Amino acid sequence: MTTPSTEPSDALIRLENVVKVYDTGEVPFTALKGIDLTVRTGEFVGLIGKSGSGKTTLINMITGIDRPTEGEVIVDGTPVHALNENQLARWRGKTIGVVFQFFQLLPTLTVIENVMLPMDFCNVHAPRERPEFAMHLLEQVEMADQAHKLPSALSGGQQQRVAIARALANDPPILAADEPTGNLDSATADAVFGLFESLVDRHKTIVMVTHDNDIATRVRRSLHVHDGEIIEETVHRPRTKRG
Amino acid sequence: MLLEPRWAKILRDLTAHKLRTMLVVLSIAVGIFAIVVVMGGRGMLIDSFAVNFPKSNPMSATMFTSDFGDLVTAAVARDPRVAMVEARRSETFRYRVGALASVADPPAGVAVANRSRSISLTASRDWSAQKIDKVFAQGGATWPPARGEVLLEMSVRQVIPVVVGDSITVDVGANERRELRVAGFAHDINAFPSMFTSTDSGFVSMETMGDLKRPTSENVILLTLQKTGLTREQASTLAADIRDDTVAPAGVTVYGMNVPKPGSHFLGDIFKAISVLLLALGVMALALSGFLVVNTVSALLTQQTRQIGVMKAVGGRASQITSMYLTLVTVYGLLAIVVGLPTGMAAATWFASYAGGLLNFGTTTGGPPGYTLALGIAVGLVVPIAAAYIPIRIGTSIPVVRAFNATGVDAAKFGHGLVDRALGLLRGLPRPVALSLRNTFKRKGRLALTLTTLTLASAVVMSVMCVRASMLQTVADLETWWNHDVEVTFAQPVNARAVEAEALGTPGVVAVESWVTRSTTLVRGDGSENDSLFTIGLPADTTFIKPKLTGGRWLKADDTDSVVVNTDIAKDENLVVGGVVKLKMRGLEKTWHVVGVVSGQLMGPVVFANRPYLENALQQRGEVGRTVIRTQAHDTAFQQQVGDRVERRLKDLNEPVSGVRTQKGMRDQVANELGILVTFLVIMATILAAVGVIGLSGTMIINVLESTREIGVMRAIGASHASIYQVFITEGIVIGALSWLFGALLTYPTSYALVKVLENAMGIPLSYVFSWSGLAIWLAIVTAISAVASLLPAFNASQVSVRDAISYE
Repeated sequence: MTTPSTEPSDALIRLENVVKVYDTGEVPFTALKGIDLTVRTGEFVGLIGKSGSGKTTLINMITGIDRPTEGEVIVDGTPVHALNENQLARWRGKTIGVVFQFFQLLPTLTVIENVMLPMDFCNVHAPRERPEFAMHLLEQVEMADQAHKLPSALSGGQQQRVAIARALANDPPILAADEPTGNLDSATADAVFGLFESLVDRHKTIVMVTHDNDIATRVRRSLHVHDGEIIEETVHRPRTKRG
Repeated sequence: MLLEPRWAKILRDLTAHKLRTMLVVLSIAVGIFAIVVVMGGRGMLIDSFAVNFPKSNPMSATMFTSDFGDLVTAAVARDPRVAMVEARRSETFRYRVGALASVADPPAGVAVANRSRSISLTASRDWSAQKIDKVFAQGGATWPPARGEVLLEMSVRQVIPVVVGDSITVDVGANERRELRVAGFAHDINAFPSMFTSTDSGFVSMETMGDLKRPTSENVILLTLQKTGLTREQASTLAADIRDDTVAPAGVTVYGMNVPKPGSHFLGDIFKAISVLLLALGVMALALSGFLVVNTVSALLTQQTRQIGVMKAVGGRASQITSMYLTLVTVYGLLAIVVGLPTGMAAATWFASYAGGLLNFGTTTGGPPGYTLALGIAVGLVVPIAAAYIPIRIGTSIPVVRAFNATGVDAAKFGHGLVDRALGLLRGLPRPVALSLRNTFKRKGRLALTLTTLTLASAVVMSVMCVRASMLQTVADLETWWNHDVEVTFAQPVNARAVEAEALGTPGVVAVESWVTRSTTLVRGDGSENDSLFTIGLPADTTFIKPKLTGGRWLKADDTDSVVVNTDIAKDENLVVGGVVKLKMRGLEKTWHVVGVVSGQLMGPVVFANRPYLENALQQRGEVGRTVIRTQAHDTAFQQQVGDRVERRLKDLNEPVSGVRTQKGMRDQVANELGILVTFLVIMATILAAVGVIGLSGTMIINVLESTREIGVMRAIGASHASIYQVFITEGIVIGALSWLFGALLTYPTSYALVKVLENAMGIPLSYVFSWSGLAIWLAIVTAISAVASLLPAFNASQVSVRDAISYE
């Protein structure tokens, strides 16, 4: 269910008055308090905030992993909030590549099989082409030589590279990353972030959650989330790449 | 790359978690095993019966007569109501295993090691031309038996160790014996198995019968009727008409007739009861196996919740993920078929052989029927998928966000339920014990399934113990009923005084009493007859039996035409206290008043009458058919010794002793008959107990695995290995104890119902006993099993390093 964007500002992601309330059984907790947000094609947006600020909830709205209590979430012309679970899964597989903080590779699949899994689910690429395409993605993240290893044999940084390759499996226009470097040492985090920067150069739109201020300054645009609200927006000048 | 990643994941999940795979496979395999054993074994028994019974061309009626010749046989054959007729001679002897020289009389007072038994030898002029109640030589034995040889009915091997080539020594008269060589064994499906009767069976030639000093003419008429589809009453009437119209006019006296229910075997009711019970227990085992699958698959999905979330996040639809896990379950089913089907088929074959031997049905070649294989495969594939479908649908329908936030316990719900709050009120418990109790009730759905499985298994096991105790009580009650030690029966009426005097003069005998005994025919209002009765005329004030009245009163000394009937005949013929019954014995037809009903003694339908009146009525004063003896001691060996001495003394006087039974021997015979049912129940209870144990073990393994992180935290804050074990062993024991408690509550109604089913099937009243010791024994067993089932996974979990345990997902 994808309709071409008709917005003159070519907004790829649009959230309108999104509210999310969690019913914990005692006092309801409002994680998002009427968020309005627009992300354009090719932007690299960072969601910055402390733990519990609502940034993960916000990115989950964009990826369809969670649903708003009120408001609308339109991604690439699709009203994500109106899709059922099956429609969401299919849409997500083709539209958004998700990268998690703890990598979330399936432990019993090899590296290349993890990368091919989304292709398998969404029937993207002919079956015979999938291994070749997966290897191509692994080469891009410099993990081709580990293709037939299990995740347990890789370091954290290596697993995150594989997770990025998996996120790109169906060539989605959008990548959503929730604290992708949160579990990595600084050098590895830097290298992984570099991958994201290279993807932006290839016209991917990236929304990334982070609490790391240093990383926050390297995104194109950072949105500060506090207590379920976007309290500040900062646009950064493009920086020269390190190294 | 051969497989798509999602199928590769499924296959690797099998091998990556071998213990879990083994648990699920065992859970399914035990259900397959149970159904295949029951259906296969039952099917083989039915098939073997369906082949062997018709093959024998069972008689419609047997007449026990005075001697007759070919003319009578020909006359019966010409009767248009008769399809086939065959004549034989049947005589009962006392015999011992061993050659003549080895069984010479020992000095008086010395016990004979090799005891005498009774044997009914059947002879035919031409065994090769047998047509009715056919007998088949087994194991290559020569048929027909040659002169001087005997073929023993094969069930005799259940009670005495005799092989081909052995000799038996037969008492043929006063101090006269003949030796016969055991030429082999024959199968007579229409004979009572030796373990259920005190008289063995054997087959000889007519010449051999003459050598045994018996007439070589016939005294048994076997016939089949032209009409088919008759009821027992109709067949009985028809047989009586043939007797009156054709046999009696030929000058032959018919002493008694046996007309079974057409087409049915005398063990048919017992087999039916066994069959129904086994089927019910087999289905229960299958259902419980399904519960285990639900439990284990639910746990597997819980463990993989996050992976399910990831697959959905990268584009996997619920239907795709559902099909992945259904495929996994199918593979489990296939593996279970590999384990459960061949073992089940082998067990079914053993079971059929064992049961067929006990029931003397004989066996057929080949294994279980073909449908058993198909059934086992269907069960292995269909049941797991049916059991796992809903848990899989629930597990794969989880929204992605819940999948990523899942902790195994819904934090919002835990602690709010009634049970959780009740546990929270328990004060003063050591923390580890409190933790165990709360862990037990943490996953209520899983607990419910585990408890259901273990409770049902516990209820069945404890019920079977109650049934066994009830059977033992029934046998003990019968010992009380038969308040004598030895019983001597005679082939024809003997002088009571002479026999009693000789018996009283035997060392070890303290009291004797003699009874008039007669085969009896009951004549119904419509003229049809029931000729399977037996009348005993005994003193009204006898102390040699202690009959258990179920209605009315016992005989009085001045009773004339009053009778007391046992429950066997009362039930069969709807006889009630105050009613009348017409009986025919030795040509005398008379109406009697029913004054009382006593419980059956597993001796078949019996009528009791006042001896003096019966003697007069039969014109048989002072002549008796049975003498009962009370001995100084009542142990088996003493009873046997005295029995042997009395038998020798009576034979020395040329008295026609046809049988000597001890009370212990009668008790053993009854115990064997009842024991066969208990054996089958124990087999199935064992299978159900195994299902319960697998269920508990599986639950504990999964519970401990899911608590790995908790274990890491506990060890990080100072818990020793022993403390860890205590937490989980306590949890296991609590589950085991709860299942015992719920099972105990179900035990009374279940065991009572089981006893009633068996009572109806066997047609005899059984004493019901609730076995408290059975409950205590099972409590000890289930506690031990629970502790062991928890110890191993707890031990494994405690070996994981704290760091790895805390980071376990």
